[in-house]
Amino acid sequence: MTTEFTQSEPQAAAPAPAPPAVAPPGPGRRRRRFPVLDVLVRFQSLLGLILVLVGGLVFSPRRNGTVLFLTVDNLANIVRAVSETGIIAVGMTFVIIAGGIDLSVGAVLGLSGVTVATLMVGHGWGTAAAIVAVLIAGLLFGLLQGVVSTVMRIQAFIVTLAGLQVANGLARMVSGDKFININYGHGHGLAPPSFAVLGDRLFGNVIPVSAVVFVLVGAVALVVLNGTRFGQHVFAVGGNERAARLSGINVRRVKIITFGLCGLAAALSGVLDAGQLSFANPNSGTGYELAAIASVVIGGTSLFGGEGTVVGTVAGALLLGTLNNILQLNNVNADLQLIVTGLIIVAAAVLQNVAARRRAS
Amino acid sequence: MTGGGLAPEADHPADRGDDPAAVLEMTGIRKTFGGVHALRGIDFSVRPGEIHALLGENGAGKSTLMNIMCGAISDYHGKMRLEGRFVRFSSPHAAQKAGVATVFQELDLVPGLSVADNLSLGREPRRNALFLDGRRMRRSAEQALGRVGTGISARTKVSALRLGEQQIVAIAKALAAEARILILDEPTAALTAHEVELLFDLMRGLRRRGVGIVFISHRLDEVGKVADRVTVMRDGRVVSVRSGSTTPEDLVPLLTGRPAQEMFPARETVRERVCLRLTDFGYRLRRPSAGWREPAGVSLSVREGEIVGLVGLLGSGRTELLQAVCGAAPPGRRLGTLEIDGRPVRLGSIISGQRQGIGFVPDDRRRDGLVPTLSVAQNLVLASLGRLDAGGFVRRGRQREAVRWAFEAFGIKADTPTAPILSLSGGNQQKVLIGRALLRGPRLLLLDEPTRGVDVAAKSDIYRLVRSLAADGLAVLVASSELPELAGWCDRLVILRDGRVVVDVAPDTDPAVVLASAGGDTLPEVRP
Repeated sequence: MTTEFTQSEPQAAAPAPAPPAVAPPGPGRRRRRFPVLDVLVRFQSLLGLILVLVGGLVFSPRRNGTVLFLTVDNLANIVRAVSETGIIAVGMTFVIIAGGIDLSVGAVLGLSGVTVATLMVGHGWGTAAAIVAVLIAGLLFGLLQGVVSTVMRIQAFIVTLAGLQVANGLARMVSGDKFININYGHGHGLAPPSFAVLGDRLFGNVIPVSAVVFVLVGAVALVVLNGTRFGQHVFAVGGNERAARLSGINVRRVKIITFGLCGLAAALSGVLDAGQLSFANPNSGTGYELAAIASVVIGGTSLFGGEGTVVGTVAGALLLGTLNNILQLNNVNADLQLIVTGLIIVAAAVLQNVAARRRAS
Repeated sequence: MTGGGLAPEADHPADRGDDPAAVLEMTGIRKTFGGVHALRGIDFSVRPGEIHALLGENGAGKSTLMNIMCGAISDYHGKMRLEGRFVRFSSPHAAQKAGVATVFQELDLVPGLSVADNLSLGREPRRNALFLDGRRMRRSAEQALGRVGTGISARTKVSALRLGEQQIVAIAKALAAEARILILDEPTAALTAHEVELLFDLMRGLRRRGVGIVFISHRLDEVGKVADRVTVMRDGRVVSVRSGSTTPEDLVPLLTGRPAQEMFPARETVRERVCLRLTDFGYRLRRPSAGWREPAGVSLSVREGEIVGLVGLLGSGRTELLQAVCGAAPPGRRLGTLEIDGRPVRLGSIISGQRQGIGFVPDDRRRDGLVPTLSVAQNLVLASLGRLDAGGFVRRGRQREAVRWAFEAFGIKADTPTAPILSLSGGNQQKVLIGRALLRGPRLLLLDEPTRGVDVAAKSDIYRLVRSLAADGLAVLVASSELPELAGWCDRLVILRDGRVVVDVAPDTDPAVVLASAGGDTLPEVRP
């Protein structure tokens, strides 16, 4: 006979005050709400962003009485650096809420950059034509990944990992594995000067064009996600795919479109990258997929799908960008920056768990 | 062999409580969750060799009481004695070691592992402190299976077992050799009549060996069949402790706190017009699967205003038939004809089924129905988003209006429409899912196990709701494993066996005859 059984372990029977409940409460009962915690959990990335901004003010080095962190140049730098991963993160938000993931975005960024540069420099395309062509290509690349994933029933992780390799390979082919310098002018081998606008600042040389594009992308995404039937379908598909299908939602189409949107965002980011740097590097977006996913997670979107916000993602991207900026201003080395970023991602995930537990109760 | 420690009177005579025969005794148990009183002073006892049914509607506190008994909750007020000794379990593991075994509703089995692997999960016997000792594992698994008296092989993969067999494996897993108390949390919720009988046989066998069994159930008719005593809880209090032979008619008013009412609404006149007609209907899967019984040669009709019940054992193809009719079946080919309002229709998907006016409520609420991340309101309008928007843009006002109407029409009780769907009771969750289908204004409603895991009052609400919609001309086809429910609710019963219609009978047909036709002729004692 088995020997697992040991004598019972009677414990102190006195009804001593016990630690707080961790056990699930009975059905139909709900725990009392703590409004402060609710707000913190709901807008965790916004609060984090405020904390980081305050930190930036406090820890910023000063020169001749000016706070370096607050200079127009520095703030513009932050926004410019953030806009590329930020736009990708906004696209990624759709994919992740629908229950997927897209690892190909960084490679698509690189591919888009070299393609738009080659079209203009090598083939004499106009700015608008080149940009539109590249955006359509990015959209199609994303849609294709979505089709492969849903129709052939392969996990998005695998499909987009393959997509990453393919896009990176294509980018090296297109560019001959070299940087493509973009020189402006009229004639062979020169890009139309209008493309240089992407690197400019507007409104009295204050606000970078890329920031304006970032804000516009965020605004459109906000409306699409929260104000359209498609957006509601995205949430339903990520929350419970089977229930969504039985409710008459075309689950495949919804998922494919989210991948298309993400590809489009990555392509847009690639165009901005080339425009801001005035050269195109086939490996430019390496690692951006992780930065984008980190922004989404810090923004409170669940990797299990079904919930998330665009505002959170935008704030998450700004938070990461600002934090890196502060560390750079204080000459903290890049290795430590990575470690700090990692810790923040974990903290965000912990807060999300708190939120999920509260919902389950 | 297991009865050794089960006669404790002589051991600790000084510790006797109110129930001298009890092996487990709880007195004055109180528990609050953030100001909400879940238990307000509960006295509860289990005697050795007794099946003690614990009844209560959702929210009555029986889950909390069970969680205290099995060690999942340790911070409560009150005393618990096991064999006369005061105990306070710090975890379910500690409770199990002390002899209190629990089988939760969600079975804790790993589907991809064998029965033997599952039975020794977390305490695998090892050789040389490293390698699994497969032989010892299988031997102890066979012993455990022997204790519950089942012929299930220890080598079988759990995923290959029927739900009823998995339940038995879960009991074997929980039941250490010396268990004195076995807690079963709604063990019959997902079982067919035949499987329920097997489970009851197992429970009676354990009772003979002196195990005290706490049996939590929603099905009142089961109580009379196995229970020796019944404790009814309501609002965190024990309302009544009675003998197991108490009839469902006497239990219902105790449970609901309301005077006895008719459980089922009166039948109404059925109209002449046929809404759904299946002729030699069948469905062939593109990739045949053993777990999916293909309907074949099914002929039946449902008229406007009629509620037709589908009777059949597990594996008879009830669920599959409903799925094939509404377009929710896996990819495959339809055979025969399906007519709606006299027009033959071809349904390629659930979407085309919806367009033809078919509403479908699946049986597994959590898996196929609820979207846990969405609110009550969002879950309610999920199938009607296209009707409540303008050019693809959400119209919040229209959605709110629809939700307000549905709350009233379907009697959904929630704090607010924006509350998380999982905060609702099972009954209200089910009303939301039925409401989701009804918001589209269907001609034909297909219900699969509409009252599974739903408390008595909500069951009655659902019967009434569907009956009143039928009175307005809705045709309803409902599959259920609870024969008494179908007999009391439906206008006609259709008996399925092996994916085919066997016979078409009136609802007041002798249940023994009905079950015999369904292939359950080995169960003569089942009664409505």
